[in-house]
Amino acid sequence: MMRLFLLSLLFLSFFAAPLQASPLPADSAFQLTVSRNEDGSLRFDWSITNGYYLYREHISIKAADGRELPIETPAGERKDDPTFGPTEVYYGAATATTRATSDGPLELTYQGCQENGICYIPQIRLIDPVALAVSNPSEQVGSAGRAPSSGSGLPRAAAPEASYGSTPEIASTAAPAAGASTFNLASDDSLIQSIRSRGGTLLVVASFLFFGLLIAFTPCVLPLYPILAGVLVRGGGQLKPGRGFTLSSIYVLSFATAFALLGAVAGWSGQNLQMLLQSPVTTGAVALIFVVLALAMFGLFELQLPASWTNWIAQSTGALSISKRTVAVLGFSSALIIGPCVTAPLAGALLYIAQTGDMALGATALFALGIGKGIPLIALGTMGGSILPRAGAWMESVKRVFGLAFLATAIWMASPLLPAGLDLVFWSALLVGAGTWGLSSENATAHQRIPTRAFGTMALVYGTLLLIGAASGATDPLRPLAALASRSAPAVEKRELEFADVTSAPELQQFLQASKAAEPTLVYFTADWCITCRTIERSVLIDNQVRRGLDGFHLIKADLSDMDGDKIELMQQLKIAGPPTMVFFDRVAREPAGSRLVGNVTVEGLLQSAGFAGAPQK
Amino acid sequence: MISRRQMLTASAAGATALVYPFSMARAQGSPTPDQVFFDPEIPALGNPKGDVTIVEYFDYQCPYCKVGHPELMKVVEQDGKVRLVMKDFPIFGSVSIYASTLVLAAHSEKAYEQALNALMATEGRLRKEQVDAALLRAGLDPTGLHLAFKRDAKRIDAIIARNMAQASAFNLGGTPAFVIGRKIYPGLMNEKALKEAIAEARKA
Repeated sequence: MMRLFLLSLLFLSFFAAPLQASPLPADSAFQLTVSRNEDGSLRFDWSITNGYYLYREHISIKAADGRELPIETPAGERKDDPTFGPTEVYYGAATATTRATSDGPLELTYQGCQENGICYIPQIRLIDPVALAVSNPSEQVGSAGRAPSSGSGLPRAAAPEASYGSTPEIASTAAPAAGASTFNLASDDSLIQSIRSRGGTLLVVASFLFFGLLIAFTPCVLPLYPILAGVLVRGGGQLKPGRGFTLSSIYVLSFATAFALLGAVAGWSGQNLQMLLQSPVTTGAVALIFVVLALAMFGLFELQLPASWTNWIAQSTGALSISKRTVAVLGFSSALIIGPCVTAPLAGALLYIAQTGDMALGATALFALGIGKGIPLIALGTMGGSILPRAGAWMESVKRVFGLAFLATAIWMASPLLPAGLDLVFWSALLVGAGTWGLSSENATAHQRIPTRAFGTMALVYGTLLLIGAASGATDPLRPLAALASRSAPAVEKRELEFADVTSAPELQQFLQASKAAEPTLVYFTADWCITCRTIERSVLIDNQVRRGLDGFHLIKADLSDMDGDKIELMQQLKIAGPPTMVFFDRVAREPAGSRLVGNVTVEGLLQSAGFAGAPQK
Repeated sequence: MISRRQMLTASAAGATALVYPFSMARAQGSPTPDQVFFDPEIPALGNPKGDVTIVEYFDYQCPYCKVGHPELMKVVEQDGKVRLVMKDFPIFGSVSIYASTLVLAAHSEKAYEQALNALMATEGRLRKEQVDAALLRAGLDPTGLHLAFKRDAKRIDAIIARNMAQASAFNLGGTPAFVIGRKIYPGLMNEKALKEAIAEARKA
């Protein structure tokens, strides 16, 4: 390397050619990745572009409170050329590890040069020790650059705050390639790619299985529990663990297959199938199916597929008994219910398929995700048999309970389609019905009667409250008397966060240009039909901490309820798989690495990402 | 003193990879050419009445600033009509700041140039003692310079702060970086590149 360097010096002195290619941005010259070793220590890896080097002595780390922490670095190459004096440097790659732990973000500093070109200013990155996310504090807050000179008689124009505003302009005039038509997104490797590069295809499958398991208890998957349980119960008779296992496995396999197929087609076609799946028509149809299922539970009729279907399925699946086939069909259609729930792994797999066209691996990952979501269901199906009581009169009650659960699911699914407040009426009707049934239940034995009636009474009372709420203009089933309460106590003012609407990529560009250097931006992708979005809006966005964290943010909403070409374009440019997704841009309209939120959003997650994008610290 | 936080200001997006027109930057509220080329507190080297000014943002521990310095001085001397303004942009920590403050504390323009050239002739990384030794060898009194700096700290810190604010406004990712005419050139420049840049500045 040294010889090469001397050679290049020689070369350059003979030919008065431009000395060097223009220096790369520091983040391209020194690409930092953070990981955790098996022993728990933090590991920093730099991939160093050819022709650049890092100084060993300039790698250091500090805790959030400014304490210098111990960091271990291997011996570097000695750069003892007379011109430079003895220093240790790294070419190609560098690593550092620290065993130190910290509550807050760690501050990693490193510094290097372009061989024969430029020496970079110290690079400081904030490392989140939990999420291992890297952020660049200097890209966040303009106030970091307040030099003491600004008050010393210099014209305002020289003040760094003012000049800060110019930096992105310079950058964009300098690099028209990065001009107005593209967004400055964080260049994170896709989920699948990064896992694959670490442990191959097998690890991808294992990871997605695990992701599935993690999200098995989110609201997206929860509707599957009553469905499966209802199916198992409906089978009648004593449910042996073996049969429970078989049925639930068939159910899970079918929906995982459907999930993989849907995902593969969606990713491959570049279209978002979930949009179609979640059109009011399909949502309405699925809700109707639940009503029908519920009625079947109430014994109104025996649910049977049309004879032509059953015959066809019987021929193609051979020995499967009717109930197994029913379970398979139900499982397959259940994918429609959970398909629309965008979660980070789903988004990752969809984008991977869309970008690489590798349907096989994408679909496999989705299949594994589906199986992961189904593992608790299989456990429920297997053990459920021994938990559920013997067949008998009890069975009828259990069926009715599941019937009610199906009706509840139907209302829940249909409520985005209903005028605000109407769902309260339905909930009220359901609860009053359930309460009446509980109170009038005759076949309960003496010591079952008390809890049954207690629940019945509670359901009646809450149902009544909901009806009153609906009549008084309340819209939230969990706060039916909010309208009345606020009338008596008007002092509590709950300011809604105000989002500006965008419908196309150029429009968002305009917003970003306008808010550049002034305020960071949050772009929130949502839709009427997105159930998780409703949860976010109801429980996260109204949180006081979140309001404070988003103070000073330019809030933008892209409503994907009605899709058109412009919105598809916008989603493709921002690499959005679907709602809910939150994309953050900092003051120079760049997306900070690791800030994007996909799927269920928590208060903590939102605050962290807002911090990355430069929320004013108070 | 310059805090690490201020050093950060210059980081912005790392080195700007392309030469871009100065005027663009100005239009956005960046420093004016007067502030960049004619800082009254920084002595001009070369021909102070020259028609073209080269501004170099540099650090006394930056190897390529020092490697390129003799060639730069040669070009300035040969041309005869170039003003050279060396702007301290200390990026390598406290020793760099120490070196800059001593040189800026020089009592005369001649002493300033001597001190600057003495430190630019050093090799690589420096310790404070090496800074002192280099100044001594050039016939200067480091202790006296340090005392002079202490008396004049407010003015000298302000010079460095101004330089750093400009570096930040120009989005300079490191040192050396040159402003010649209306253009910014990040990284080491050889004789040919310097001459071309000077010619271009004259044309404009």
